[in-house]
Amino acid sequence: MAGQPLHEIGPAGAGFEASALGFTLALAASWAGPAGVIWAGEDAAFAEEGAPYPLGLAQYGLSLDRLIVARAKKREDALWAAEQALAATGAIVICALGAQGKPLDLKASRRLLLFAERHSSRCLLLMPASGPSAAWTRWRIAPAESNAEPDELGAPAFRAELTRNRGGSFGSSFIVDWNAHERRFTERALARDLSAAHQDGPVDPLWARAV
Amino acid sequence: MIRSGRGPSDDRPLAVYAKENGALQLKGVDARASKLGLNLAMSLADARAMQPKLEAVEAEPEEDARALDNIAAWCERFTPIVVVDPPEGLFLDVSGCAHLFDGEENLRVEVVTRLRAQGFGARAAIAPTPGCAWAFARYAKQKQRLTPSLAMSEDWQAQLAALPVEALRLEPSAAALLRRLGLKTIGQILHAPRSAFTARAGENAMLRLDQALGRTQEALTPRRPAPPVFALRRFLEPVFTADAVLQVAQDLCGGVVEKLDARGAGILRAELVLFGVDGRDRVIGVNVSKPLREVKPLMRLFREKLNIVGENLDAEFGFEAARLDVARLAEFNQRTQTLVSVEASAATDETISGIADVLTSRLGPKRVVRPTVHDEHSPERAAGWRSALSRSQGGKAKKPPTDGVQRRPVRLFSPGQQIEVMAGVPDGPPIKFRWRRVMREVVRAEGPERISGDWQKREMTRDYYRLEDKQGRRYWIYREGLYGEGEKPPLWYLHGLFA
Repeated sequence: MAGQPLHEIGPAGAGFEASALGFTLALAASWAGPAGVIWAGEDAAFAEEGAPYPLGLAQYGLSLDRLIVARAKKREDALWAAEQALAATGAIVICALGAQGKPLDLKASRRLLLFAERHSSRCLLLMPASGPSAAWTRWRIAPAESNAEPDELGAPAFRAELTRNRGGSFGSSFIVDWNAHERRFTERALARDLSAAHQDGPVDPLWARAV
Repeated sequence: MIRSGRGPSDDRPLAVYAKENGALQLKGVDARASKLGLNLAMSLADARAMQPKLEAVEAEPEEDARALDNIAAWCERFTPIVVVDPPEGLFLDVSGCAHLFDGEENLRVEVVTRLRAQGFGARAAIAPTPGCAWAFARYAKQKQRLTPSLAMSEDWQAQLAALPVEALRLEPSAAALLRRLGLKTIGQILHAPRSAFTARAGENAMLRLDQALGRTQEALTPRRPAPPVFALRRFLEPVFTADAVLQVAQDLCGGVVEKLDARGAGILRAELVLFGVDGRDRVIGVNVSKPLREVKPLMRLFREKLNIVGENLDAEFGFEAARLDVARLAEFNQRTQTLVSVEASAATDETISGIADVLTSRLGPKRVVRPTVHDEHSPERAAGWRSALSRSQGGKAKKPPTDGVQRRPVRLFSPGQQIEVMAGVPDGPPIKFRWRRVMREVVRAEGPERISGDWQKREMTRDYYRLEDKQGRRYWIYREGLYGEGEKPPLWYLHGLFA
């Protein structure tokens, strides 16, 4: 998954938008290089669930001096901003679309894919509904119960379902915790999923699975 | 120089009047009326008695000022430095511009003929000093005004000496005094003893004389601040298409970059001014976050900007000239430029600011933002967003803790949204709460984190809790005030969402 340029992320149900965003931010933080993260989106994608809060983003593992947020009134402007940002080599671009309007069409997602491929940048498409898309993988995200002590919230936790994977199998779901300090996911140690890969060390289970 | 006003409708003499001390006084007469013996000393009644056919219009000084300003704006196609000299004059600083118009005389003729074609009476002179130009435009005989390039001629001071004293921009009373003293031409003053002259006619008259002769520099304030660097092109044929405009912009960018090279400066804001054949001009501005001195990125910004304004360019009659102004510039640090290829982090700083520039050119500075962190307790004031173009906060910015613990939400509602809460114990976290009409059952709670408000702003103390509901969703809520503090139980708010 890490090597592929375009991924689509959405909530697994109504009310899980924050989790979908969190998963997206976590991926962006884990991939982010010196070229930074550009979060481009429609107004609707910013207004509904509150405004991005820098302190929270920093605690999530994003580097604030390498983050730009671009808000666009119209979807075409948001897509344009994402394309422009993808033209910067190595950039990680979050393209966030609101719930209103039609799902993104295939052509627009192909354009994003092309931009990302051409400039070795990567795009995370965050949108509630989806239609046909050129994305390499599609994830449906729900929150997962915390894994910490009873009086703590602990690390952000997700139930991530891979509903589409151009590169391999899909349909499986994972429960992962986001380690913001080390900027990587750790998969919950479910007996059936214990594989050699993560006994070896900090290989990201999502990457190993979806590449 | 321009006489404000409209062209005469027919053959009748025209005069402008205004109320003064209860009488209607002539304020302006056109050439025809002047020939018939009307002058500014007359009242309207006297003038009417002399010339019953006189067409009289009431003076509209505000309208005139507006008209003059419009003309000044139009004149900016000849030079960016246009000074409005009310009530009827304009100064154009054409140094360095004349070659674009095949010389000063051609430039002068073009300005005058085109103003006349628009229905304005206009006279103009080009001279080495503003004062001298003022004098010649108003008081030189027509033949003299047409003398090719006064500025070039050796004896311009001698020519100036032949003009009447009124040509020195004097108060009417001062001019009248000089006349009573028998000093009728500027030349006569030139030879008068300086101290005696000053004593009689006042400091101002001497100053005006010095300014006209170029003994003293005269500081004029242009209508718009003169750009420190600019490039101007005019076209033989009007230009219509966006492509052609871009081509021109590219030329101009090249010209400006060359000049900036020489000054060791870079662009922070550039404005492309397009002068329409219809007399209106359009300005396309781009901002840059770091001083820029390259044509390519500059053109990328202009291309984006033109894409948006493209339809609104409204080039119905085409553009006849274009100018690129560097509205703001900054010292260009050659060292950072050469280090870019060596130092990876510097290179990506450039990348990030490059993206910010491009996005801002289309979305605007309020919509392309970077995070800021402030040393404040109140969550609302502890962080915010600023335009991605603005200079960085510098090294003093507080670094938020990044130990991996989520103390603050990724999304913040401002203001917080009120929620309905069922708390277990009065000072404890809620057991259940209702937000957006849905009841949420709390399974985990962390807190309280007490954040005291600013007492000067009468803010109450808040106790914040981090909650997780049955489905795993996480919230940041607070109770405003303490139990037992007021008469009513304190209110609860949802302030943010953890992801």
